[in-house]
Amino acid sequence: MSMEQERDLTKRQMIVCDHVSKTFYTKNTETKVIADLNITANENEFLVLFGPGQCGKTTALNVMAGLETATSGTVTVGNEIVTKPGPERGFVYQTTALFPWYTVMKNVEYGPRARGMSKKERRKKAQYYIDLVGLGGFENSFPNQLSGGMQQRVGIARAYCNEPAVLFMDEPFGHLDAQTRYLMQEEIIRIWEKERRTVVFVTNNIEEAVYLADRVIVLTNCPTRVKKEFIIDLPRPRNYTDDKFLNLRAEIQDVVDKTL
Amino acid sequence: MKNKAKQKQIAIKILATIFSFLIFGLLWEMLVRFSDVGRVMPGPLETLQSFFEHFTEKYSAYTLPEHVWRSLRRVLTGYFFAAIAAIALGILMASYKTIDAIVSPLFNMVRPIPPVAWIPLAILWFGINDGSKYFLIFWASFLSMVQNVYAGTKSADPKLIGAAKMLGANDGHIFLTIVLPSAVPYIFSGLQLGINSAWAMAIGSEMIRSTDGVGWLIIRGMDNNNLLQELVGILAVGIVGFALASVLRGVEAKLCRWNKRGT
Ligand SMILES: Nc1ncnc2c1ncn2[C@@H]1O[C@H](COP(=O)(O)OP(=O)(O)OP(=O)(O)O)[C@@H](O)[C@H]1O
Ligand SMILES: [Mg+2]
Repeated sequence: MSMEQERDLTKRQMIVCDHVSKTFYTKNTETKVIADLNITANENEFLVLFGPGQCGKTTALNVMAGLETATSGTVTVGNEIVTKPGPERGFVYQTTALFPWYTVMKNVEYGPRARGMSKKERRKKAQYYIDLVGLGGFENSFPNQLSGGMQQRVGIARAYCNEPAVLFMDEPFGHLDAQTRYLMQEEIIRIWEKERRTVVFVTNNIEEAVYLADRVIVLTNCPTRVKKEFIIDLPRPRNYTDDKFLNLRAEIQDVVDKTL
Repeated sequence: MKNKAKQKQIAIKILATIFSFLIFGLLWEMLVRFSDVGRVMPGPLETLQSFFEHFTEKYSAYTLPEHVWRSLRRVLTGYFFAAIAAIALGILMASYKTIDAIVSPLFNMVRPIPPVAWIPLAILWFGINDGSKYFLIFWASFLSMVQNVYAGTKSADPKLIGAAKMLGANDGHIFLTIVLPSAVPYIFSGLQLGINSAWAMAIGSEMIRSTDGVGWLIIRGMDNNNLLQELVGILAVGIVGFALASVLRGVEAKLCRWNKRGT
């Protein structure tokens, strides 16, 4: 057992995927999307799942969040086995899943409102997270009046505002332009450092993975399983052109090339 | 800048509308004056003049606005209950599989029957007077609304429902905050179809048997060979139909502000 793994054991495990598999059954086909997934995420860790397109990343995240049920195996978050969606877990979607008929404010306060928090209290909380993601002044805008990057910020604020123990983020910057994407990567780390949570972040962008992660888990093609994991022990804020950064990136790329 | 461009657009639209009415009126007037059409058709100016005269002058017992009001009262009563029933049934069918399974076959059977086919039975069941009219208006608009409500209730994006569940919403809250808002645009196109059918049925049923209302006015014009009266009635039907549709569109625009792009 390596030094790093030993160190990990002393931390509290927040998410445990234990032999999770997922097969979709349709009329006359079955698609095995997840072969056998064993993943743990520690408390307040920024864990990145890195895998090729269509390998089953969204499916894996959906199972962990409770939006899909595993065909076999269990997911535990905190001390509870996940069986259905619930507010202890937050989800940021790959493409925007904002409620188009609600303003930014009403989107962000949706969770607290659904759970019966008083208007005054939830407004205050929502305002805090709206400001945190840098959308102060846009409280009364509707989602379709915002740019893609701003919509993702609303999605992040909405997930955070419910104060879940863990956050799942499914390629939230996947469809942003390169410039905005870099900016959002910086922002998400700033927010995470301010509001510590366990984050499981999915991406198919290797640079993004190394920039964000405490630990990167490389997934194989469909049906997916864990190929290898990398501890990213670089100080933050990170520099995309730093030697160590580039070395790690190359190292991961190497593994990816071999597994495909 | 943006505002100015918008104002200009509106100005052009208004001018174009006036222009098209003028052209139409001119052609109409010329046809009436210089061809045989004049024998079966009064001119536009004459029609307009008679239209305004009958704001104070009576056709039979009532002035034109009073006739319009009588027709409107029938439409709005029948339509109001039809809208409530259609929204309730549409939502129930879309939400509960058992209700859907029981009601759908019946509904699919009666839906292709044009509402006018029920006129004789309606008169037998609900009387020759307002009873049968209310029923026919109700039925005609109900039929054209249920399906839209049903489709709208089914239209909610499963991803948004999932997102709401992830945020801790229960079924009731999801219905109010996700399913209903998704259905609103569909419900409004249903309401729009419904008001058209209701208005058509009101005029139609007044033509069959009535002592007042715009439908009666038109049919009376025919009986008396009073072309002017017919045309005035038709004009009133058009204006009221347009007004009803516009009111609905206005309410929809208010409720569905999020559906529009830009500010
Ligand atoms: N509900 C479903 N029924 C059947 N097959 C499904 C279903 N959901 C996903 N799949 C299949 O599972 C595979 C993986 O899908 P998934 O969306 O999890 O991959 P992904 O890695 O998130 O892809 P992307 O990189 O495009 O985000 C795909 O081939 C897809 O067709
Ligand atoms: Mg995906």
